[in-house]
Amino acid sequence: MDRKLTRRQFNAALGAGVALGSLGLPWARAATGPVVVGTWGGDYQNLLQKHIAEPLLVPKGVEVIYDTANDTTRKTKLMAEKRLPRGSMDIVALTGSGAYEMWKNGTLEELDAAKIPNLKYVQPKLKTKYSVPHIYTGRVILYNPAKVKTKPTSYADLWNPELAAAGRIGVIDIQYQTTIESAALINGGSLSNYEPGKAKLLELKKMGVKIYPTNEAMAQALKTEECWMCIMWKARGVMWQNAGIPIEIANPKEGIVLYVSEMAIPKNAKNKDGAYEYLNAMLEPQPQQAFAKAMGYNAPGSNAGLPADLAARIGFDKATEERYMSQDQEYLAQNDPQLQEWWNKVFKT
Amino acid sequence: MSQRRGAAVALMLPASVLVLVFLALPLLLLFRYSLNRFVPGQFMVEALTVENYVKFVTDPYYSAVLKTTLMMASGVTFTCLVAGFPAALYLARTTTRFKAMLILAVILPLFVGNAVRAAGWMVAFGQKGIFNYLVELLLPTATPLTIMYTPVAVFVGIISVNLPFVVLTLQSVLEGIDRSSEEAALSLGATPFEAWRLVTLPLAIPGVLAAAVLCFILTMNAYATPVLLGGPRFQMMAPVVANEVLNQNNWPFGAALSFVLMVVTLALTATANWVVARRYSH
Repeated sequence: MDRKLTRRQFNAALGAGVALGSLGLPWARAATGPVVVGTWGGDYQNLLQKHIAEPLLVPKGVEVIYDTANDTTRKTKLMAEKRLPRGSMDIVALTGSGAYEMWKNGTLEELDAAKIPNLKYVQPKLKTKYSVPHIYTGRVILYNPAKVKTKPTSYADLWNPELAAAGRIGVIDIQYQTTIESAALINGGSLSNYEPGKAKLLELKKMGVKIYPTNEAMAQALKTEECWMCIMWKARGVMWQNAGIPIEIANPKEGIVLYVSEMAIPKNAKNKDGAYEYLNAMLEPQPQQAFAKAMGYNAPGSNAGLPADLAARIGFDKATEERYMSQDQEYLAQNDPQLQEWWNKVFKT
Repeated sequence: MSQRRGAAVALMLPASVLVLVFLALPLLLLFRYSLNRFVPGQFMVEALTVENYVKFVTDPYYSAVLKTTLMMASGVTFTCLVAGFPAALYLARTTTRFKAMLILAVILPLFVGNAVRAAGWMVAFGQKGIFNYLVELLLPTATPLTIMYTPVAVFVGIISVNLPFVVLTLQSVLEGIDRSSEEAALSLGATPFEAWRLVTLPLAIPGVLAAAVLCFILTMNAYATPVLLGGPRFQMMAPVVANEVLNQNNWPFGAALSFVLMVVTLALTATANWVVARRYSH
């Protein structure tokens, strides 16, 4: 058969094809559609792909795609899409505070625990109605054991006039919230009242504290032994030890305040079934172990089965675990802007 | 005639539509945002208020940030003009066969992005950086200099970004100036400096103005360099805007700050244009 396609016939066929395709697309997606995960990029996203998507979801025919951004952008997106019947993400990765804020603003789904069988393994202190904890760690003190002879036991040990004057005590600009919080805890404040922390921090400023812009800048300063002591998340401390930075980790007697990284489902997610599958897969033992190993964050589930030596390095002993403290998210939602403003305008200048 | 006008409209249309859709409309939206209210925990709340602008005017912190930005922009512009003019003059006048390579050498730094270049400066300026290493070699007893996270680091960093723009702008204008005017002045007894001041410089003023405006605007809006080299304590407008929007989620105040920055930059640029046009128009 020797039949040539004319230009018109070709265009008509193309048009018909596009029309058919676009008709078919919506329900083709609804049946097996991808799960869109709004997340931080970099290593975190790579680990999500390697340990959750590839081994646990792809074999079931669930495709996972990523919407990479920082969490502020993600929050703005959730707020902007709030009134739309269909949002652009099925899973959103948020900090504990971010998830609470988004829940309060009515953008997150109240989760149906029956659809996440692995949720029963999660520690009660980490659970919320609207999110599943993914990884968590606690706030500690990092110090250089060769330079700081007595192991610190309290945040108050950072208020050391001699070390501060020599520029050996450092705080981190982006950790303003937790720094004010730690100062509040040793000056009569609480997790629901950071105000006393301000005066305490001004004392430290007077002594001569150094301010580093980011966690990475702090790592550098600890490495070159320019800085000897700081407040940090234990997970970072462990990773920095792995990188050969000369530090030890000390628990403050004020208690261990937790940082939890969470995943939630937006109310207007397109693929909620896929999202629930994702949340459940995330709490399988294998990915929990992988994240603990690669990032130094603790696993939220009792089913994680972490090797004892790893659990000991990244976690806390039973007695300390009992005293885990959770931030007062309502207080932070109301006060974080004024805390940051104070930090920028008064503490830093 | 009307056909030509039609052609002109057709030619202008694509660019105008692009500008309208991608610049004017977002700016309008941003302006609308700047009149909204920020409520902690609820983000942006629809309103029609000038409180964000009032906050900028009444809070000395923000006027200090604007002042720092203006001083940095003026200082960088002045330095770039003084340092760039002789280089541009040489490039315009030289007859060496390496001229193309010399111009390429001026353009070459622009191949590296601002953030990457700032990262390079961080390596050079650190407590244990190349700069302090050299200081230690020459003066073993000296204490290491603190350059990182100071205004000086930002100043040097921005100059390194802007200088090529200034040199290239000046050079293209200087190329167009007929050398015979300067030679006439010299033959009539002017000293080389007088010939430069009274003949070359006035003829080059449009180029100087263009270079200055370019440099000034680039510095007013500098982001990567102040963030990376200035550190937490040094504040300029663009990073403060970014912080309000990205970290605080305070779009209304961030939008108001952007408008203040834009209006101040535009007003100063327009004033400079007007003053120079009046001074050199006859």
